[in-house]
Amino acid sequence: MRVVKEPGAAHSGLSDWYWQRLSAVVLALLLPLPFFLLVAVYGGAVDQQGLLDILDHVVSRLLHTILILALIIHAYMGLKVILEDYVHTIAWRIPLIGAMLVMMATFGIWWLAMIWAWI
Amino acid sequence: MAEIIKLSVFRFDPEKDDKPFMQTYEVPLLKSGMKLLDALNYIKWEIDGTLTYRRSCGEGVCGSDGLNINGVNGLACITPIEGLKQPIHVRPLPSMHVIRDLVVDMDHFFDQYRQIKPWLQSESPMPEHERLQSPEDRERLDGSYECILCGCCTTSCPSWWWNGDRFLGPAALLQANRWIVDSRDEATGERLDQLEDAFRLYRCHQIMNCMEACPKELNPTAAIGHIRRKLLSRKS
Repeated sequence: MRVVKEPGAAHSGLSDWYWQRLSAVVLALLLPLPFFLLVAVYGGAVDQQGLLDILDHVVSRLLHTILILALIIHAYMGLKVILEDYVHTIAWRIPLIGAMLVMMATFGIWWLAMIWAWI
Repeated sequence: MAEIIKLSVFRFDPEKDDKPFMQTYEVPLLKSGMKLLDALNYIKWEIDGTLTYRRSCGEGVCGSDGLNINGVNGLACITPIEGLKQPIHVRPLPSMHVIRDLVVDMDHFFDQYRQIKPWLQSESPMPEHERLQSPEDRERLDGSYECILCGCCTTSCPSWWWNGDRFLGPAALLQANRWIVDSRDEATGERLDQLEDAFRLYRCHQIMNCMEACPKELNPTAAIGHIRRKLLSRKS
């Protein structure tokens, strides 16, 4: 009988899968909203001041925050899975996933700063 | 004169050939309802005795003759010649190490099966007679126990091609679920522990080639989904 050196289970993986699906549901609910807004603006139903009033409202800011967080989590989880699928050398895989995380976090913080007018 | 079937068969003898090649054969249609295995047997017995392939029961029970037939995995013994586009391209199971011609190395596949501990694990004392199961509990094993471990599903899975060293693959996971749903097995917790891994289980991307390929028409994707729901309900 051939004996395999088997490292066993890492006891993680459920949370990645769970967050990817949860963020997908949030995106499915929230992502259409900015497109409705765009259509309203291009259709002439909302003018520039109206658009700014909508975006400034605290409820829009909260929804916008949730949307951008879900977007970043979903994109990070998805790209991580793709990197794990195709990049087999650990010395490449871990730095690539790390670099992606830093880039996405930076983008997310910059976007949040715009939403809440920190700068 | 009998109708002629054209086949193009993968040939490779690592002791003689530098690289694999496809060899063309012509076989008469011997009877109506003739299966692909009958054609391979005709080649082996009447035309070219060097052609090497695995076969045993010849009726879809042993799972020896899993092959890639016109690009789709299946069992040669239960695949009718009728309905196959000619020339019929016969290749070994994809992504597998070829030992010779259509014979592939199944060691890693069976190692992965062994990793899910495919036997009953129970701590309660051995009953005097057999361990009883209600007809309803027995019914829950339908769709899992029929698996003959031919390897058609696992070798059709792109995720297993990419990460087969760590991803257990549809066949092993279908059997993992078979023991999780078995009312007599008491090691569900340890079984789930051993599956909770981003590669071993969660590398399944629901491509569903496994379901398409299974000659027994089983659904490993659904079994993997069931394991995921079990893990989710354990943590939430």
